[in-house]
Amino acid sequence: MSDRTALLTRRRATLLTVAVLLCLPPFYLDAFWLRIGLFSLAAAIGATGLALLSGTAGQLSLGHAFFLAVGAYGYTWLAGDPGPGLPTALAVPLAVLMAGLAGGLFSPVAGRVKGIYLGIATLALVFLGHHVLLTAESVTGGFNGRSVPPLSLGGFTFDAGDELTVLGVPFGAEERLWFLGLALFAVTWFTARGLLRSRPGRALAALRDSETAAAVMGVDVARHRSAAFVVSSMYAGLAGVLLALAFRRVVPDYFSLVLSVDYLAMIVIGGLGSVAGATAGAVFVTALPLLMTRYADQLPLVAAPGSAEGAVGPTEAARYLYGAAIVLVLLYAPDGLHGLARRSRDRLRRRRSPTSDPASAVPSPSPPAAAARPKEHTL
Amino acid sequence: MNDRTTTAPPELAVRDVTVRFAGLTALDGVSFTVAPGSVHALIGPNGAGKSTCFNVLSGLCRPAAGTVTLGGTELTRLAPHRIAALGVARTFQNIVTTQGTVADNLMLGRHALTRAGFTASALRLPGARREQREHLARAREIAELTGLGAHFDAPVGLLPYGDRKRVELARALCLEPRVLLLDEPVAGMNAAERARTAEVVGELRAELGLSVVLVEHDMGLVMRLADEVTVLDFGRPIAHGTPDEVRRDPEVLRAYLGTDATGEDAA
Amino acid sequence: MTDLLDSLLGGLALGAVYALVALGFVVIFKASGVLNFAHGSLLLFGGYLVAVLHDDLGFAGALALAVLATAALAGALDRFLLQRGGQDAHSAHVQTIVTIGIDIVLLTELARRIGGDLLTLGDPWGDAVTELGPLTVADSRLAAIAVSAVVIAGVFALFRFTSWGLSLRAAAEDMEAAALMGVRLGRVRAGAWCLAGALAALAAVFLAAFPAPGLERTTGQIALNAFPAAILGGLASPTGALAGSLVIGLTEALVVGYQSELHVLGEGFGDVAPYAVMLLVLLVRPNGLFGAKGAARV
Repeated sequence: MSDRTALLTRRRATLLTVAVLLCLPPFYLDAFWLRIGLFSLAAAIGATGLALLSGTAGQLSLGHAFFLAVGAYGYTWLAGDPGPGLPTALAVPLAVLMAGLAGGLFSPVAGRVKGIYLGIATLALVFLGHHVLLTAESVTGGFNGRSVPPLSLGGFTFDAGDELTVLGVPFGAEERLWFLGLALFAVTWFTARGLLRSRPGRALAALRDSETAAAVMGVDVARHRSAAFVVSSMYAGLAGVLLALAFRRVVPDYFSLVLSVDYLAMIVIGGLGSVAGATAGAVFVTALPLLMTRYADQLPLVAAPGSAEGAVGPTEAARYLYGAAIVLVLLYAPDGLHGLARRSRDRLRRRRSPTSDPASAVPSPSPPAAAARPKEHTL
Repeated sequence: MNDRTTTAPPELAVRDVTVRFAGLTALDGVSFTVAPGSVHALIGPNGAGKSTCFNVLSGLCRPAAGTVTLGGTELTRLAPHRIAALGVARTFQNIVTTQGTVADNLMLGRHALTRAGFTASALRLPGARREQREHLARAREIAELTGLGAHFDAPVGLLPYGDRKRVELARALCLEPRVLLLDEPVAGMNAAERARTAEVVGELRAELGLSVVLVEHDMGLVMRLADEVTVLDFGRPIAHGTPDEVRRDPEVLRAYLGTDATGEDAA
Repeated sequence: MTDLLDSLLGGLALGAVYALVALGFVVIFKASGVLNFAHGSLLLFGGYLVAVLHDDLGFAGALALAVLATAALAGALDRFLLQRGGQDAHSAHVQTIVTIGIDIVLLTELARRIGGDLLTLGDPWGDAVTELGPLTVADSRLAAIAVSAVVIAGVFALFRFTSWGLSLRAAAEDMEAAALMGVRLGRVRAGAWCLAGALAALAAVFLAAFPAPGLERTTGQIALNAFPAAILGGLASPTGALAGSLVIGLTEALVVGYQSELHVLGEGFGDVAPYAVMLLVLLVRPNGLFGAKGAARV
């Protein structure tokens, strides 16, 4: 038992250290870096939601941008004018619930369409959502979008308004929002890991690995698929709120299919199915283009933004890199991801010692030894 | 926690079950009754419909005709997870474990017996944590019972074949089943592993008093464990009786002619 | 009345073009179990080649070369990237995500080259129209219908009468069994991908032709509308894809044609109508209109 206490103490100490370290940036880094950090935190929250859905439950979604939009626009409308003009602190949880509700409305599809096929169905959300954002001008502001009211918590406003100096450092919007982002990310980390390590998380992983095994063990398949979708939408909604606060303006074109694909890239690159992986992927995909833009003049083969037509700009360069990263990760490190709809049978086929070379990680097309075991028609 | 095993399990009755796939009749008027607390073996050559029968029993496959009742409950119209909740657990012919540790797999078996939902788990509410602790303790007991105690926290993927096969058995037991469906529990195992599993199944039956339906090619195991045997051939029941009666039945000998009666060839 | 006929004819033309795309999508799915999310950028690749080559080679030469090059690109992507991942169902899911990665790279490169331009493909129909009774129809639409009909008939003949078609059907039924019976899955797959690439390049020409303004970086996205068509058809059925394409094409054309009556749905609803139809269908039939397996497969 003392072992366990020691472990727990050590874990707490690590957690505390990380928390303290994460509180430091506003005192040492300028707004550019804080913005990268802030966008990364928002992306990490959203990516965690997608990791739960696609990585753990094995349900592909390309509709994540839609739920980010529901969160972002939901907050803006709820707290703004036109809109009910609710207190901003109330608008945040309500916007998250709105995103969850939107996910719930989609559950007749999300509960019954499985795996990669859900990917196509969710395309509809992105395109229809984008259309609504453009059309419902009274709510969304149409093509030009809306400005986002800053969040106010008990008299403290997360913007550059009133002057605030902490330990000799002027606290503008970025510094303040950093701490908000950190708090929301902590909530995400705590809840998502709680989910993954308990009954619902195990049920979702079972669904991904074998729907039949999950069902005969008592898992209500459709209900869990729907629930995973709702939970994932709520994390996306939360990320949307944070993004809206960081951007200070929401516009429809941001919430396009490209954004959905970015989120998918995050969880694939990070290794599907874990919160830490999703976070790492989120930082990579978010920070890469921003960093490349900043340092374009020092990078070979990358032209500064706005230079000659047809040159490879930093945004393009970043997209080449992470597009290629998806391909390479999936083809050469398939064990880095926890697999969409992986069947445990596949593990049997790819059974190998941990030290074997990466080439053998690719499933062999030849009938493996397992297939030679007694076998009758299985459903 | 497992009060439902303290009473004798209800009778499982299969009546005139017929299953067709795209014009093929996989099961044709199959009937048998599993007496409470008995071991009932289902044998027959490959393709005889044994696994299809299991799929009907666990709700994965809906029969074109016939009924399956457990006590007074009709099972054929229930979804698989509802049947599981009634205490019918099964293992698969090909190992179907999920990723993660042995503990993760066994805790999946506790799914129907636990309540913690998404919200309680996400917020790590005390009730959900206590429930997880209690059921983890029971899962550990079952791991000990099935000889997996030493591997409780090991990733399933790293275990040898026989152990993984036993993880499935342990996972099914975690459901605290009243009826246990075992689909070739010793297929592909070596002699020592077979003996160990046979021993475990025997102990289970003695200790927990549950009914077992067994599909197995290993005739030695069937003869040793089964109280009653039903023989299927091309989806039709061709014989029924005690292991000794069935072994002498001329129909059975004919069905098995040309195939290896022990099924060892396939393993 | 002429409005209706006009919309119907426009829908037929659009549906015919979607059918070329959706058919490729379905063929790939049947042969490899992969949903090809890079289909739109393959189409854009074909269109882009026609756009840059037609000045030197003439339209026919440019088209021929583009069709061959797109077929080769699709086949090569499958052979050298996707097929490394194996042939079973789990691999097909991983490969589906790989196509998203391929799409990111390909689309970024093509969008960078095209920039904000509208490229003309130098097609022979231009903005010419033909009078058909009370209707005035763009020649490009008639060409789209005629060419698609011939090509689709050819593809169905391929399915039915060639050994490749037979192998494709066997592979779609049961990959493992087909492999055991001597079907060379690698070749069947590569053939399917080449065919799909060729069809996509051909479709690009009609998507960029009059009355569309030309080839844009977003033309590939229009091709995504063929996804709902394929889903409607149940994914694994070429006939279903054909029917689904017509449904989607007609819906889109009718919504655009009756825009003023449908103004509650908002301007530009025609562009997203295919997805609305798909959602409605999926709500009622998760496996698609004609699908027995399709979405239920796995």
